[in-house]
Amino acid sequence: MNRYESFRRSGFQKATMKRLLTSVTGSQKISMPMTIVMSGIAKMFVGELIETARIVMAERNESGPIRPCHIREAYRRLKLEGKVPKRTVPRLFR
Amino acid sequence: MNTASGALAKAKAGASQPSENTTKRKRGIFQKELQHMMYGFGDDPNPLPETVALVEDIVVEYVTDFAHKAQEIGSKRGKLSVEDFLYLVRKDPPKLNRCKELLSMQEELKQARKAFDVDEEKLAASLD
Repeated sequence: MNRYESFRRSGFQKATMKRLLTSVTGSQKISMPMTIVMSGIAKMFVGELIETARIVMAERNESGPIRPCHIREAYRRLKLEGKVPKRTVPRLFR
Repeated sequence: MNTASGALAKAKAGASQPSENTTKRKRGIFQKELQHMMYGFGDDPNPLPETVALVEDIVVEYVTDFAHKAQEIGSKRGKLSVEDFLYLVRKDPPKLNRCKELLSMQEELKQARKAFDVDEEKLAASLD
């Protein structure tokens, strides 16, 4: 029940998300609906990351807490599935 | 090759993107919420700190790229709007449906609050 409670109740702080969106878009006014929608989308994305990471662990017969290598592999797979927005401006100095 | 520190350094640099503010991002802005979220989605009750840090970096990058794309779409019409966000998830039914659900809930709450305020005013007026 505890895990389900965490699943239902967890979420990104509206203020923090709004601050992040404002800094990313520059001068744009970020409305409450935008913040709510972005938080919802981001939460589902975290879900995809964690679930995929668990799949990776099962394939490797590993147990315990999720490690960064699992997340990186999960992220790589999500990118291949097209679930991660691609940068139209290439990142410099990577 | 993505590394946690590399991604963090990129996010802090900020200047690689033309229209971004060069504000430094503090570490762990989503840390507490992410720990609960990761547990809820299947991680250990106490996720590893390095894993949480990596997920945070990835999420910040995701939100950043997502918002930039929405801005590109919105710029054709002028202002950035919620519609631009919804357009970006149009091919992802679970996300799109969730967004619609969240928006209609928010609208319902707004209407309920407005009705409450109006009732309060009427009550106050009738007591004078």
